[in-house]
Amino acid sequence: MLRYMQTRIALALLLSLMGFAYASAQEKAQILFTGAFHGKVHNTSGRATVYQESDGRLVLRLTKFKTSNGPDVHVVLIAAKDADDDANFLKNSTEKIKLGALKGNEGDQNYDIPKGTDLQKFQTVSIYCERFNANFGAAPLKKF
Amino acid sequence: MANRLSAWLARYKLVLIAASLPILVGLWWAFRPEKLWINQTVNEPAPFDTSGEPEPIFTGQFQGKTSGRVTVFKKPNGKEYLRLRDLTIPGDADAHLELTRSDEVNQAQAAAKTSLHGLDLGLLKTNQGDQNYDLPAPADLTKNDAVVIYNQRIGTILGWAKLEPF
Repeated sequence: MLRYMQTRIALALLLSLMGFAYASAQEKAQILFTGAFHGKVHNTSGRATVYQESDGRLVLRLTKFKTSNGPDVHVVLIAAKDADDDANFLKNSTEKIKLGALKGNEGDQNYDIPKGTDLQKFQTVSIYCERFNANFGAAPLKKF
Repeated sequence: MANRLSAWLARYKLVLIAASLPILVGLWWAFRPEKLWINQTVNEPAPFDTSGEPEPIFTGQFQGKTSGRVTVFKKPNGKEYLRLRDLTIPGDADAHLELTRSDEVNQAQAAAKTSLHGLDLGLLKTNQGDQNYDLPAPADLTKNDAVVIYNQRIGTILGWAKLEPF
């Protein structure tokens, strides 16, 4: 019985140590750019912020985010200062970098920005419905 | 005519149903109309540690002849402070930093000379670069949503920023 308890305590200690190690492994990050979403047709709101982690990796984080749910919606960076609500990226052959499929139409979410992305050029985040080439909403990123 | 149409419809009923099925499926796939009613909520935590750091709660960019950014941070102990970054204002010796309502700024800008009824945070420490100001407890930033750089002596607004929630 005593032995059993000892094993349990040792295991608990080990697990809490691992938890501590995990927490301290999470590094601080610095805000580089931020901007608010606008989009009337598809009612898009919230904030887009680019963080740089201590190892140099760039992360786009959406907070207080809301847009309309739809098919084939992606988060993209576009090479523009901002995008009109009815912007047509195909017609204007706007350069895009895909960050991934939109994880949810509501709530906080993170997207990795590929290494070497020039954020002086790709200055706007767009919630982009690929199937209908529709810009649901855009956030112009400005220096923080 | 109507009779002939209904007879034709009756005859090819199964064929019509079979033919329209893929069209309906295709339309559903393209438009996903059920998504109009169904929300997909996510709640990812920040992928980095934010504990112990001042948290940005409001931010805005200066407009007018002034450029730069103002951000209001909340310290872990609950105290709030205002930080100006990359500030550039046209050289002025008597510039004050004020918090006020943005509708008052809009009205004040229409007038040539004006006085503001907000909260004076004191003389601007410097007209270039980064600087911090402690916010007094009653600074109600949902009401006082404008940060103004204001020359009290000549009553002009040198620049202002609208605070948006971070």
